[in-house]
Amino acid sequence: MATIARPVPGTVTPRPNIASADVQLPGVRDYEQVDNEIIGTMTPTAGWFGALGLAIVCMLIGASSWVYQIYWGLGQAGYAPPVMWGVYIITFVFWVGIGHAGTLISAILYLFRAGFRTTIYRVSEAMTVFAVMTAGLFPIIHIGRPWKFFWLLPYPNWRLIWPNFKSPLVWDVFAISTYLTISTTFLYVGLIPDIAVLRDRETNPVRKRIFSILSLGWRNSDREWRHFARAYLFLAAFSTPLVLSVHSVVSFDFAMALTPGWHATIFPPYFVAGAIFSGFAMVWTIVIPIRRWFNLKHYVTLNQLDATAKVVLFTSLVVGSAYLIEFFIAWYSGVPAEIEYFYNRVFGQWWWSAWILLCCNMVMPMSLFSQKLRRNTTWLFILSLFINLGMWYERWVIVVPSLSHEFEPWQWTHYMPSWVDMGFLVGSFGWFFMWFLLFTKQLPVFALAEIKEIIPPKMRGGHHGEPDVSGGGHQGPVAAGGTH
Amino acid sequence: MQGVVASFRELDAAVHAIEDLRQQRLGDVTVFSPAPRHELEEALGNPPSPVRRFTLVGGLLGVTFGYWVAIWTSNYWPMVTGGKAIASWIPYTIIGFEMMVMIGALSTVFGMFYVNRIPRLTMTVGYDPRFSHGDYGVFVATDNLSKAEELLRRHGAAEVRGER
Repeated sequence: MATIARPVPGTVTPRPNIASADVQLPGVRDYEQVDNEIIGTMTPTAGWFGALGLAIVCMLIGASSWVYQIYWGLGQAGYAPPVMWGVYIITFVFWVGIGHAGTLISAILYLFRAGFRTTIYRVSEAMTVFAVMTAGLFPIIHIGRPWKFFWLLPYPNWRLIWPNFKSPLVWDVFAISTYLTISTTFLYVGLIPDIAVLRDRETNPVRKRIFSILSLGWRNSDREWRHFARAYLFLAAFSTPLVLSVHSVVSFDFAMALTPGWHATIFPPYFVAGAIFSGFAMVWTIVIPIRRWFNLKHYVTLNQLDATAKVVLFTSLVVGSAYLIEFFIAWYSGVPAEIEYFYNRVFGQWWWSAWILLCCNMVMPMSLFSQKLRRNTTWLFILSLFINLGMWYERWVIVVPSLSHEFEPWQWTHYMPSWVDMGFLVGSFGWFFMWFLLFTKQLPVFALAEIKEIIPPKMRGGHHGEPDVSGGGHQGPVAAGGTH
Repeated sequence: MQGVVASFRELDAAVHAIEDLRQQRLGDVTVFSPAPRHELEEALGNPPSPVRRFTLVGGLLGVTFGYWVAIWTSNYWPMVTGGKAIASWIPYTIIGFEMMVMIGALSTVFGMFYVNRIPRLTMTVGYDPRFSHGDYGVFVATDNLSKAEELLRRHGAAEVRGER
């Protein structure tokens, strides 16, 4: 959003917002086109109903698994002592990680004035909120008695007992609840001006009333924009350290334990980089079909996808380095349990999962060194699915081999998820996509107001005052940011 | 409150009208625009937003509460471990930080709502749905309606009307 600038005397020379100065959308002419095309995506289609139905079926599979587990007990979860963390914690970390790219795109890239975020940030923010909503279910599921979850919160009670604030699980409660609250607030605040647009266009009285309430009487006045811009900046400034802290706190769940493979100071940056890596992959999984199905290729240009691909490549190199450093530290430490554990991870009991992880997260993203592949949307979509798979397996490789191969050989065991575990995994995807699909038809998936900030305003004499836009996109080395 | 509202299709026309209105001191000017524009802010010359004060106070309250709740509950229900400190500030920094972010961000939003006077149940004088779509609106609160109307038309307003 706009920032306060010093007055410039003389004639009016339109200047783009500095937050989006390096991105141009040559295929978008004016504000009316933005409203019409983006709001046009909110009309339900047969394909949307089909996808929503599939998501609800998957969600019901998860719900049924939960009912079954509550009835028969936590023993249905496939835990095999000492492996008492399994698919639930893996999927929890996976979904928290997915959420991170949303905040990175909406807050961190906003502070860094990275223009390529402008058209994809709304999708990413919504993805964050729904991913954290999904992740938040898993600790509650894992408790076994979900109705006792409020014991984790500090509240006055007749037993006079309080949570242990030195426990990483209590840090998790604070981190995740803060993250969910702030990401939801950030999403909603950004949506207020767009909901006002929907309110002003809506003809159905019931929907108009709902949009009127949700838009809080927003009028697009200069006063509102001025305070909004400042609040948005501060929200971004709060969200930036928050996003780094949340996955660091999640990594403390592991790093604070003495278990081989977990007790490492590298975990917080390693987890944060992995979270951003997987989150960007999920952004591709969602955005690439949206831009194709709704014919919005002139909003999410190849140059923008190219920029996101560079972020993915960079974070892939970071997590790849972390994997290799873990092996080095294990060898250099001289601790037999650590050395044995890492050998077992790659060449022993769990070799297949480790190699899935290494191929998906280290080897395949190397293809993004090729500019041609960075600009091939089909390849980016396929790669995103492999990265999602690889990042789920990364958490598998962290959780299961460590717990099944601790210090004492008599403790070594095997672990395979039960059908209840897999039901929850399927259900989590159903839950996530159900909310996301509902969101796409109720609210604009691209930010109307921020895109309008990029579009050159109408000037007297019928010309737009922006500089030449023939380059066709932001910063891209290839001219005419193609939109296929 | 009465005044005149004008709808402009072009940004520079709206900017020149605002500058002229301020020069003539006809009354308080409110501008409506589909997206924030630097040019309009510069023409209006408004002071910086006070939202930052809400952010500061909320953040300080949050971090204080975070440390306090962790330290107080530890002392109230002590878990003595090998002579270590009952209240350990290092892990409690996580609680302090998270509460700073939570309360600081929420108070920022509250501050933005407060200074903007939202939620607002009714539309105020001068607003038109076109101003969220594509046009720029300039409203001047004045009793000298004819002079304001003439000025706005001279600067190329597509439509001018009196509001009460």
